Amino acid sequence: MKREEMRMDKKQESFSLEVMKFFESRFGAHEGILGETLGSALGHQIDDADLYFEYTTAETLSLEEGMVKKGGRHVSQGVGARILAGEKTGYAITEEIRPETLREIVRTARAISLGTGHGGNALRLVPARRETMSLYPVASDELDVPLSLKKGLLLEADRVARSVDPRVVQVMASVATEMKSVMVVRRDGLISADRLPLIRVNVTVIAEGNGQRQTGSFGYGGRIPFAEVTGEPLHHAAREAVRQALVNLEARPCPTGTMPVVLGPGWPGILLHEAIGHGLEGDFNRKGTSAFSGRIGERVASPLCTIIDDGTLPHRRGSLNVDDEGTPTQRTVLIEKGILKGYLQDRHNARLMGVSPTGNGRRESYAHPPMPRMTNTIMLSGESNPEEIVRSLDKGLYAVNFGGGQVDITSGKFVFSTSEAYWVENGRIQYPVRGATLIGNGPDALTRVSMVGNDLGLDPGVGTCGKDGQSVPVGVGLPTIRLEDLTVGGTA
Amino acid sequence: MNDKEALDLLSFVVDRAKTLGATAADALLIDSDDSVVGVRKGDVEKIQRTRSRGMGLRVFRGHAQAIVSTSDMDRNALETLVRGAVSMAEETQPDPFSGLPGTGPGSVAPVSSLDILEDPSPEISQEERIRLATEAERAAFAEDPRIQNSEGAEFQSTFVRSYLVNTDGFSGGSARSLYGLSCSVIAREDDSMERDYWYEQSHFYRRLPHPEEVGRHAGRRAISRLHPRRPKTTTCPVLFDAEVARTLVSHLLGALSGYSLYRNATYLKDRENTRVASTGITIREEPLLPGGFGSRPFDGEGVISRPKVLVEHGILKMYLFDAYSGRKSGRSSTGNASRSLGDSPHVGVSNVLVDQGTRSKDELLQDMKSGLYVTELIGFGVNQVTGDYSRGAFGFWVEDGEIQFPVSELTIAGNLDDMFQSIVEVGNDRRIRSSISSPSLLLENMRVGGNG
Repeated sequence: MKREEMRMDKKQESFSLEVMKFFESRFGAHEGILGETLGSALGHQIDDADLYFEYTTAETLSLEEGMVKKGGRHVSQGVGARILAGEKTGYAITEEIRPETLREIVRTARAISLGTGHGGNALRLVPARRETMSLYPVASDELDVPLSLKKGLLLEADRVARSVDPRVVQVMASVATEMKSVMVVRRDGLISADRLPLIRVNVTVIAEGNGQRQTGSFGYGGRIPFAEVTGEPLHHAAREAVRQALVNLEARPCPTGTMPVVLGPGWPGILLHEAIGHGLEGDFNRKGTSAFSGRIGERVASPLCTIIDDGTLPHRRGSLNVDDEGTPTQRTVLIEKGILKGYLQDRHNARLMGVSPTGNGRRESYAHPPMPRMTNTIMLSGESNPEEIVRSLDKGLYAVNFGGGQVDITSGKFVFSTSEAYWVENGRIQYPVRGATLIGNGPDALTRVSMVGNDLGLDPGVGTCGKDGQSVPVGVGLPTIRLEDLTVGGTA
Repeated sequence: MNDKEALDLLSFVVDRAKTLGATAADALLIDSDDSVVGVRKGDVEKIQRTRSRGMGLRVFRGHAQAIVSTSDMDRNALETLVRGAVSMAEETQPDPFSGLPGTGPGSVAPVSSLDILEDPSPEISQEERIRLATEAERAAFAEDPRIQNSEGAEFQSTFVRSYLVNTDGFSGGSARSLYGLSCSVIAREDDSMERDYWYEQSHFYRRLPHPEEVGRHAGRRAISRLHPRRPKTTTCPVLFDAEVARTLVSHLLGALSGYSLYRNATYLKDRENTRVASTGITIREEPLLPGGFGSRPFDGEGVISRPKVLVEHGILKMYLFDAYSGRKSGRSSTGNASRSLGDSPHVGVSNVLVDQGTRSKDELLQDMKSGLYVTELIGFGVNQVTGDYSRGAFGFWVEDGEIQFPVSELTIAGNLDDMFQSIVEVGNDRRIRSSISSPSLLLENMRVGGNG
């Protein structure tokens, strides 16, 4: 982490101030206008209000058949006004950012509040003074590099992947960068701003052999400069994608039924995201609609499990300096040695439940109001040797890579689907198996964790979480673990 | 911005692209106005209004292309947009198959013939919107005392206008209105807590079903799921309810995409005019279906939409192409370009319908004798390259043709190729509720993962 420290001097202190100046100069959003606009809502019976400004530029470039065929550049800007009164939320947006349109969206949003106030006085705004440094100090020109560099990256991915094995018949690669500037203005007078870099590289290959076709895929990235996705990480991604496709060419039908399952480290942490993470989000628990509602202090996992949500990890895809309501992110303990300790909160649900916000109020963009969402959700390392965990399987599944997952919050039933998994007998890997869905029950799946490895790994930076139509980048982390009695949906 | 202003703006943008060095271009503009009112436990919970407008531009320099989009419609911003696109097209590599569809101006069916726009649109007061959602939720609670909690009921109205202009002389627009009412409630008894929902939607406010109907249905569905069991792991017949049968159809459509075809990324490669489903299966695309939720006068590249048969009595009749994927396979666009602002076209469908069979739901249950009746699926375990299919399922266990008890925490698995060919019965219960519509489908056998 030496690199971050080196950069801190030159651009840390000022990043949020710079963003505020940007919105002021581009849209005339100076403190006077903002204070007056938001203040006009305050005569009403309301509990909270905010304005969320966003300006995002994104660029994607993609390759297939050895050619960089497509490039795209996208600009998105807008403001969302939110008024909260009791359990009610009023929300309206505009993409034309002018004082009149700001006043109009505040008027629309406050229709939610009862009472007939005539508007309050202008708010006095206080810019948030953050002592801490940015978790992801990446300058625009470190992310938004010339297209020729991105093109070179993709061509190299193609070359490396094809050089690994002649059975590779198709390589698809893409690089996507995004720089998002946001500013939150709250009714308590706080103005907070952030600039969020994000990059993601993906390599997918199709291999043919044994009269079959199979795909393999590897993605990586984070809130890091472009320079960090080049070279060795790229070669690793290309080799991994090919390796996975070739493994799957040998895959046999997966056995079906209830059995012990060992999950490898890293991305299989999607288990945590689906099995417990969503169920611990404040909105579901305030409403009592989650299978975890009212269960703080109860055992919901084996004593081997300690699970946190941490938005403060430097450069991670799921990390944020402040959430989308201006609350600094933090490390929240969700489950400690198997006991449920806390929920993930935004300001609205925290206020209604009488607890503190946890810095988990997130939104996809200005077009959506925030909700409690995960950041990086992680199970801490245990004591077991990962190889011993695999060897402990008499008959069962060893799954090291997954596609997506989903959960029914109320019943607690969750699924996630393997993209690389092996059948194990007598502690030895027998053969790779074809993709299978694993299904379990959130509140009790983790009570059946019988071994936790000492090899915590974080995912390579690929997670995107969807909730109520909003997508946000997230991360997961997991050591190798063994679960008893998970249901595996194979065809054999 | 009215229709003429929108089309003029797009013409200005594509002309400007040409002036700056593009050889061809197309541009689209989408203008939407969305309003949601949510009620939970009898109180208004949210009021949300989202008016949004964005433009997407695709430019070609010879055979190299670039795509840009923006929500900033300022003339200066548009100039930057066009310049950015043209310069980006200098970096992407020329691909001889890229380009506009080459179909010219065409003759665009008037939106009025599609029956998707309520014009003039009725004024619906906020009070009226709140009342509809409130009544739906109240009906759900009234359905059974075990309905004890709610995720709420929502009334939503959406108006979308979209326009497309290209340098081959195509210029067209479409517009639709959409009204939706949904309700999601939670049934509880002892240790069992289950959620379910129902929704209805229509392009016409006056055709929306009564809110009570929506709420009662949501309530009944949640109650029916209480105290689910987990049958033993087995192989048995599976009946896909119409609501989930359409997801099977969407997997098949994905495998017919021209992009999957040239990438070797579909289990249906080289299968034209061969059997891909049992004889009872005929699948059509009806882009101009009056009132259809996917109806459109032209596709995302300005190709005029026409009805076609995709699968006839189980035989695959055609793949789906946009201009690019068509040329890659030596074919023409089938009018299946789908387009969002910031992306190059991909293959998508308008309205797809599976022809009805003759059996009612009860008769299908009788035909199945014993097996699994699936009403909800979760997860993403579908591999289009191999056809491997494995998802989480909820539903009911059936014995002697009768529903016995609800089931959950099960998996169903198979291969799409085998699954479509093992459809033994097709129901007569198709309703047009979304762009893809299917009756219930009975599959001979699938692997079901449960206890043991």
